[in-house]
Amino acid sequence: MKKILTFLFTIGWSVSQVLAQSTQPVQSLSDQRIITYAFTHAEIWQDEKTVLTDATLIIQKNKIVAVGNTLTIPADAIVYDLKGKRIIPSFIDIYSNYGQLEVKRNEKQRGPQYQTKTKGAYSWNQAIKPEYNAAFNFEIDDKKAIDYRNSGFGAVLTFQNDGIARGSAGFVLLGKKDEGAMLLKDKAAAMYSFNKGSSTQEYPSSLMGTIALLRQTYLDASWYRNVKDRDNNLSLSAWNDLQSLPQIFEVNNYRSLLRADKVGDEFGVQYILKGSGDEYQRLKEIKATNASLIIPVNFPDGYDVSNPFDAVNISLADLKTWEYAPYNLYWLDSANINYCITSSGCKDFKTFLKNVQRLNTIGLSTAKILKALTVTPAKLLKVDNQVGALHKDMQANFLICNGDVFTKDGSIIENWIAGERYIINADDTIDLRGVYELKTPEGKMFQMEIVGNKLQPDITVKIDTVKVKVDFTKDVLQYTFRLEPIKGKGYMRLSGQFNSEKREFAGQLQTNNGEWNTWSAKQIAVYMDKKDSASIKASNIAPSFADITYPLCGFGRKYIPVEHPILIKNITVWTNEKEGILKNTDVLIFKGKITKVGSIDENILHLPGLETIDGTNLHLTAGIIDEHSHIAAEGDVNEGTESISAEVRIGDVINSDDINIYRQLAGGVTTSHILHGSANAIGGQTALIKLRWGKNAEQMKFEGADGFIKFALGENVKQSNWGDMNRIRYPQTRMGVEQVYIDGFTRAREYQTAWNNYNKSGGKLQMPRKDLQLDALSEILNKKRFITCHSYQQGEINMLMHVADTFHFKVNTFTHILEGYKVADKMKAHGVGASTFSDWWAYKFEVMEAIPYNGKVLHDMGIVTAYNSDDAEMARRLNQEAAKAVKYGNVSEEEALKFVTLNPAILLHIDNRVGSIKEGKDADVVIWDNNPLSIYAKVQKTFVDGICYYDANEEMIMLQNLNVEKTRLMNKSLDEKNKGASMNRPSYKMEEFNHCNNKEQFPH
Amino acid sequence: MIRNSFIALLLFVTTISAAQNPAPADNSTKRILLLGGVAHIGNGKVIEQSAIGIAQGKITFIMDARGFKPDRNSFDTIIDIYGKQVYPALIAMNTQLGINEIEAVRATHDYDEVGNINPSSRAIIAYNTDSKVIPTVRSNGVLIAQITPVGGIISGQSSVVELDAWNYEDAVYKMDEGIWMNFPSTQIIKASWAEPEEEQVKKSAMHLLELTTLFEQARAYSMNNNQIVRNQNFEAMRGLFNQSKTLYVRCNFAKDILAAIKFSDLYKLHMVLCGGADAWMVADQLKEHHIPVIIERTQNLPRRDDEDVNLPYKLPSILTKLGVDVSITDEGFWKNRNLPFQAGQAVTYGMTKEEALQTITLNPARILGIDKTVGTLEDGKDATLIISEGDILDMKSSVVTVAYIRGKEINLDDIQKQLYQKYLKKYKLN
Repeated sequence: MKKILTFLFTIGWSVSQVLAQSTQPVQSLSDQRIITYAFTHAEIWQDEKTVLTDATLIIQKNKIVAVGNTLTIPADAIVYDLKGKRIIPSFIDIYSNYGQLEVKRNEKQRGPQYQTKTKGAYSWNQAIKPEYNAAFNFEIDDKKAIDYRNSGFGAVLTFQNDGIARGSAGFVLLGKKDEGAMLLKDKAAAMYSFNKGSSTQEYPSSLMGTIALLRQTYLDASWYRNVKDRDNNLSLSAWNDLQSLPQIFEVNNYRSLLRADKVGDEFGVQYILKGSGDEYQRLKEIKATNASLIIPVNFPDGYDVSNPFDAVNISLADLKTWEYAPYNLYWLDSANINYCITSSGCKDFKTFLKNVQRLNTIGLSTAKILKALTVTPAKLLKVDNQVGALHKDMQANFLICNGDVFTKDGSIIENWIAGERYIINADDTIDLRGVYELKTPEGKMFQMEIVGNKLQPDITVKIDTVKVKVDFTKDVLQYTFRLEPIKGKGYMRLSGQFNSEKREFAGQLQTNNGEWNTWSAKQIAVYMDKKDSASIKASNIAPSFADITYPLCGFGRKYIPVEHPILIKNITVWTNEKEGILKNTDVLIFKGKITKVGSIDENILHLPGLETIDGTNLHLTAGIIDEHSHIAAEGDVNEGTESISAEVRIGDVINSDDINIYRQLAGGVTTSHILHGSANAIGGQTALIKLRWGKNAEQMKFEGADGFIKFALGENVKQSNWGDMNRIRYPQTRMGVEQVYIDGFTRAREYQTAWNNYNKSGGKLQMPRKDLQLDALSEILNKKRFITCHSYQQGEINMLMHVADTFHFKVNTFTHILEGYKVADKMKAHGVGASTFSDWWAYKFEVMEAIPYNGKVLHDMGIVTAYNSDDAEMARRLNQEAAKAVKYGNVSEEEALKFVTLNPAILLHIDNRVGSIKEGKDADVVIWDNNPLSIYAKVQKTFVDGICYYDANEEMIMLQNLNVEKTRLMNKSLDEKNKGASMNRPSYKMEEFNHCNNKEQFPH
Repeated sequence: MIRNSFIALLLFVTTISAAQNPAPADNSTKRILLLGGVAHIGNGKVIEQSAIGIAQGKITFIMDARGFKPDRNSFDTIIDIYGKQVYPALIAMNTQLGINEIEAVRATHDYDEVGNINPSSRAIIAYNTDSKVIPTVRSNGVLIAQITPVGGIISGQSSVVELDAWNYEDAVYKMDEGIWMNFPSTQIIKASWAEPEEEQVKKSAMHLLELTTLFEQARAYSMNNNQIVRNQNFEAMRGLFNQSKTLYVRCNFAKDILAAIKFSDLYKLHMVLCGGADAWMVADQLKEHHIPVIIERTQNLPRRDDEDVNLPYKLPSILTKLGVDVSITDEGFWKNRNLPFQAGQAVTYGMTKEEALQTITLNPARILGIDKTVGTLEDGKDATLIISEGDILDMKSSVVTVAYIRGKEINLDDIQKQLYQKYLKKYKLN
């Protein structure tokens, strides 16, 4: 009875559907075909968890009518008996540009473009285009659809991959019917990235600028929604409309993944993050985002390291990334992270399927892969009532397969999309592989071997002792073989059918002489996959998650170091305090702090795990603090596009994996002030980091430190050395620089007034627009943020101090300040500090009166004076730079050391924490094997928070291990090459260093 | 007896008008005895208390001062330098001193001629003896420099000068002694600005072909001393084929170094390698072919992520231990004031102090073919030497107080010292 009811219901439902489906008027005759299909006796995977055996699927038009074990099949149904076959839901690619117009990348134009080129009432920035609706521009592209369908996909989320806010995506089916039928959902998701794409507008030119632009747009959109008196802006309006959709954000590495998630957190948005495949490198942090991920399976190729001189250019990180990439998803899965798989990024679809099968051999189960390709993306896009599983009323999107398509021997036979049938592969249940005896009528016997891939086997026939390769094709019903028994004597062609019960071929042949005959071949031995089992032994030793180093490179560690009590005995301590230099002194480090300096008896300490270091003939100093550094920043340190970019933050783009962190630890640096560049009058907010090598970007930040901002004066700001194209931006003279400051601070003051008035008005006044740039400038006015200003010539130094006086704040630090010696008296009066170079000059016109005695004069005038690096190389030997204060001007050694330790600490307001060897201060200390101001001094150990992050002896061990590991991986890569895998050409990776002004070769 | 010429010098400085380079020393040379200084000969030897005689611009003797009784009448001046250090003049090879004045100002650039093949262009012509930078380098002990063009594939010819002269003609110590070449690299580079890989491969092959064609033609041309139709570039290259001129080859990658060795073998050239960051990988070949290596700065970053963080510091010591002849230079022009510290850095990582000194004195002199007259403190050589308060290789003690070029005492003043004095006065700090 129940069956009948279902059946009746089904008919009624389908008729109503038919009537509702299209607005297309009937032209000529209607030719409606309401066909019901029933697929019987199949193994049906309704989803990754629900598997029905010997079950039936009934569909009509584009929908599933019923799935079950005991269904009655309608009399008018076309029935397919799928005994031995498997039905699974078609896959969903949640990250696709299918059917979208190609994005036009604009030709490089002459000169900079500061305004948007988008016409109309849209965003001021060309890369913000939430109004773009991918569904509007969707066109069926059957050539591309075939590729998708052949790989098992039935639907994709499609969008235009261009810009930072990329607009909305459409969810479309991959069939051939008209666009209206294929477009399942308009505005299915909102898309974002950190890549401004085809935008020709200057801003933003950096990653941090992009982040600032995104944050400002969130604020603007919210303000736009809430106030009445404002201009219309179609972009902001669209932005607000899209907020209720799933928000998908593309990033290009795990660090940016964390960055995007942080932006989302600030504005209450949980992005779905399209990752890059390196997420395993910081699994814990990735897990903590709680984000669902979209992960590509575009595993990198190995490296052709045949030439050892080429091989040296390949780093351990390159090789490890190659080895680990296929394991990424497996490890994400083990960490219970929700993920989808995308084919995006794969060079072709064959690679996609091959790599998905690779996941399966690694240990990701069929069910999990299926889920990541069906239910998970469907749920994320809120279309799980329509696609992703096989239930009544859902789209008839499914695959008919032989076996498990996620294994090498499985295959897709048909891909049904919205009830339309697409044949993918001929039905290949028959495995031909094996050894056969080929018989010709003359009674000749040959041995024929069919081996290799099940669908495209390799066939050879042994004639005498020679194995002759056989060319092989198969049609729906018959097989054709072609071989040349004796080279150059013409071909023998065989055609025949296969009897799978008897395991025997039989048919007709035509010899090389044109004679017709019959032939047959009977299987005499079963197929053995020798090659496979051998290759498992050679290279399938799975990498272990426990072997991942932090960061992933030759000098990373498998653990993140933790502190323990340390007693350094009998060492010469350069205290930087009134005690001066103490000989034969002991220093106790406990819980990351310097706990005691003096004579310490280790026997009465009773500290479990105490490590004792013999400091005889060694020197201990405070860690070096680099007031001006550009290491460990990703995606450019200059947002040098606008004259004021106070809204950008270096803190958003810290790269904890930068090898220069380790290298500088080896030079005794423990804290670095990472600055924005000097390409504009007001640069960006700086970040202060401790060099906690192995920890993540957030953990490196100097907790509780005051915020600083980079300003700049002179040639860089007025673009003097940028070429003739750059003569548009205001200012082009020192005159204009002053005006930019006055204008900026005046606007900030008015902005503060507006907010004060609004806050006092009790909601009567309209809320002012929140402006990140003016917020930062307000912080300066309110003495909550401090300036470090790139400066050379005396006039402009004077000018900025006057501007500051006018607006009632103080300039904290002049950095570079090469003509500081000319205005030291004025600087002293203003109370500003100096962070300079020891002996640099002659690189620009404005530094032609720089002198190496500058530090000495400033110091003698009572100005807090530091030496900085602004250079990844020089930072490794700032102790030597300090020694130049002894050489040029006879500063005492004790005072000179302070130029790179205590004095920068004072300038950065962290001298209560670091900069001297004093009880209670952080144990950021360095052990040297010689007087630290001598060129002959080497760092033995560098500690941050009492943790040894650099140890010269450990480095030697690391180098040995690195070599062993690299050799293993190179051999592995060469094994792959022998197997015919495609390889990368090893190339020399040029390090790209950040300086103040990246547009030019000249640093600073 | 002048007890301390440094004091005399300071007095002089304070009276000079600002922002002028000091005048070159006059030609009258005195008979001088330097008594008691620690003499670092430049060939590895040290005389703890030395007596150095100077006359006619030459070192007339150098000996142990202990037990030495000078005949006071044989000297115009006897200078007591007990406790101070005496060194041969430092030699800065591979520098754009005097042909580049301000890095960012094109008008001051005379080191990079347009075009790829410029064997005939001569750096000495552009050498500006009045450069403000020269005295700042000189006052740190560099008295001899090889003024060197850069750029293109063949950059031009270098000349050796003394850093105290009225014009280039009296500055020159050895004219047009070598030709500089940037060896076309076959190494594929990956960088945001790099050309596509295939393009790089094509380009390097093209440049190599261009280069071999040029050398083949130039060699053939050089076989005839009376060419009717003269070719300036080929004329300039003549010296390469009879080895009267040195071919300086700039390259860093091991592959390229090997190719360059092969190249110089092919044309039987006298080759010197400059750069050589990867030279440690092919040290055997360099040794076998007697090719000296000029290391450009020890104070460099490792070239690859996986390299020992201190590899650039160790390079001179590694190469020396493998039997390669090593010299050290700084880069550019103004940075050459730090030449002694580039050598000092090598001491920290495996060299002896005297070995390191040799890399900026005797070894460069040999490469330049001027070791018969300079490079060490030895009888008969030019009295071109410096006196320092302390160890010259260590910045905290490296203070040069006296310098002689061929026996003439050099004024060690410079614009920076003048500005220093000017502002000490302003603030009444002196």
